Amino acid sequence: MVIWLSLPILIEKVVYKRIDATLLEKKEKFTEHLDKQEINDFLNRNDATETYSSFSTLHNEFLQLYQSKKTSKSAASFFKNEARIIEGEQSDYRVLYYDFVYENTNYKLEIGSSLSEIKDLTFAIRVFILIVLSIVIVFTFLVDAFFIEYLLKPFHQIINQKIRHVNEPEKFNYTTIQSHSTDFQELDEVLNQMMKRIQELFSIEKQFIANVSHELLSPIALLKNRFENLIQNESLDEEAVNKIVSSLRTLDLLKKIINNLLLISRIENNQYITDEVIECKGLLEDIREELQDRMEEKAIRFQIDLKENYHFTGNKTLIHIMFYNVITNAIKFTEQGGSITVADAKTSSQYAITIKDNGCGMAQEQIDEIFNRFTRLNVHKEGQGLGLAIVKSIADFHQIEIAVTSELQKGSAFEFVFQTGKYRN
Amino acid sequence: MNVLLVEDYQELAKEIVDFLTKNGYLCKWVSSQAEALEEISVNEYDAMLLDLGLPDGDGFDVLKDIRKKQAKTAVIVITARGELNDKIDGLQLGADDYLTKPFALTELGARLFAVIRRTHGISTNEIDIHNFKIQLQDYRVTFEEEIINLTKKEFDIFQYLVLNKNRVITRLQLTEHIWGDILELNSDSNFIDVHVRNLRKKLEKFAKIDWFETVRNVGYRINM
Repeated sequence: MVIWLSLPILIEKVVYKRIDATLLEKKEKFTEHLDKQEINDFLNRNDATETYSSFSTLHNEFLQLYQSKKTSKSAASFFKNEARIIEGEQSDYRVLYYDFVYENTNYKLEIGSSLSEIKDLTFAIRVFILIVLSIVIVFTFLVDAFFIEYLLKPFHQIINQKIRHVNEPEKFNYTTIQSHSTDFQELDEVLNQMMKRIQELFSIEKQFIANVSHELLSPIALLKNRFENLIQNESLDEEAVNKIVSSLRTLDLLKKIINNLLLISRIENNQYITDEVIECKGLLEDIREELQDRMEEKAIRFQIDLKENYHFTGNKTLIHIMFYNVITNAIKFTEQGGSITVADAKTSSQYAITIKDNGCGMAQEQIDEIFNRFTRLNVHKEGQGLGLAIVKSIADFHQIEIAVTSELQKGSAFEFVFQTGKYRN
Repeated sequence: MNVLLVEDYQELAKEIVDFLTKNGYLCKWVSSQAEALEEISVNEYDAMLLDLGLPDGDGFDVLKDIRKKQAKTAVIVITARGELNDKIDGLQLGADDYLTKPFALTELGARLFAVIRRTHGISTNEIDIHNFKIQLQDYRVTFEEEIINLTKKEFDIFQYLVLNKNRVITRLQLTEHIWGDILELNSDSNFIDVHVRNLRKKLEKFAKIDWFETVRNVGYRINM
């Protein structure tokens, strides 16, 4: 752009210089052989005005000589741009003014050269440069775009293969990405190192979980076995047996807390495969069968009212636990003769299953707390407050949203929202 | 009854789990030696189906381990190798039976129940208990040729108590073996008592059942 703007000015300057030089040359030629006779000749051809003018045929040059009244001490010349009307045609000229004294008479010589050609020329140059520049700009833009694309190819490869769409350290991809620039090679290398570290930490944590479960649960199993054998002893009095049974119960509680915490941490460490096709209706029917006796015991009416036959991929065991926990929770907080209903709703992008009971319900501040670990709403009911924390972990793991609505003394509703349109990982 | 299946070949494992679940077993499937070792140190199983070729080690180690910890678990070794030595080693290390791949699921079912029965010291599928005849595995209880209609859970409880005759079985044990490894904690609640009460009522219609003992606060015992 700067070139485009400044080039014509430069050209103008150069051209002026050349014109000035030719004008001076012409002046020299003209004045060299000048004598009285010649001046008179010039002047006499045009007596009336005492001015001599001569034009080239195309009016691109002219020469004028006349006597001037003004006296100048020395010969001086200067250049000026001005418009002249010559034979009825106006155009711009570069004019050389030259004052000289010849035999005590002041004369003024003007030699002009037309600028219109130059103006045309600069205009043409401007247009030409503009076209060339725009072609160059478009061309470089395209070349740059292709070249940058080519240069950044390894970058996109790194992002796609190593960072995006990779959630689990097991699925890390360590293949070296081909690239011509050492920067990308270095980036790739550093990323690989980082991923290796993550994977190491991840496997250490996994190992830790496995160790904990083994080291904590083995003694529990051992004690349990021992106590179970102990109560077979006929000679024990009732009080001793009761104490042993109560210890067994505590051990069972301990075992289940550990198992539940392990379950949560395994879910959060992505240790479950989610490639099974799960059919919600069938799964809920299975749970109904499993829990039938417990619902009969409380005379709870359990109704599965699903209109859709919704399928999705996930981990069947976990989804089973998720629904199972919510339903057993509902059973726990529903009075004798209550009811639990499972209903569904579908929109273009979502599918929702709602499990609703008419039990004791919760206050708003309780709802905010229920998914936290070790939250127990009712200290008189059994449970260690992990059931719903597990529900939340499983739902998060499967990208299922949970919405809870509840009213005291009226009941609670747990809504599970599945995104149907979205890409599922 | 709960069964631990240790098998790394997923297709086969799913088939076995399906089959056993249909036949009234609680089946837990693991696919590696590490998981199997963890599982047997944590839970008590009535039976284990053990594939010897595991991706992370030898099935024999699992066998040795379970024999150290759980004498009462019936173990069937599944081998693809079909080598005599494997079978002999397996049996010597405490396996109760073996099966060579490929096998029919019905054969697996029959053998599995036979070994469970034997580990509890019962030699036939039909048990005579104070004039009640219980056809193990067929879900049939009769009293002097008359069929007693029991629900699946009632039968499971009855069968489990009979297999573990003369022992007090706690409610927790019953839930563990019949309902499985329930993760929530109120598994000790009285829904088991409801089943037992119904079972007792059904049996009492035919004869006095003072051999079916309720041990207060603890659980139940069938005396034979």
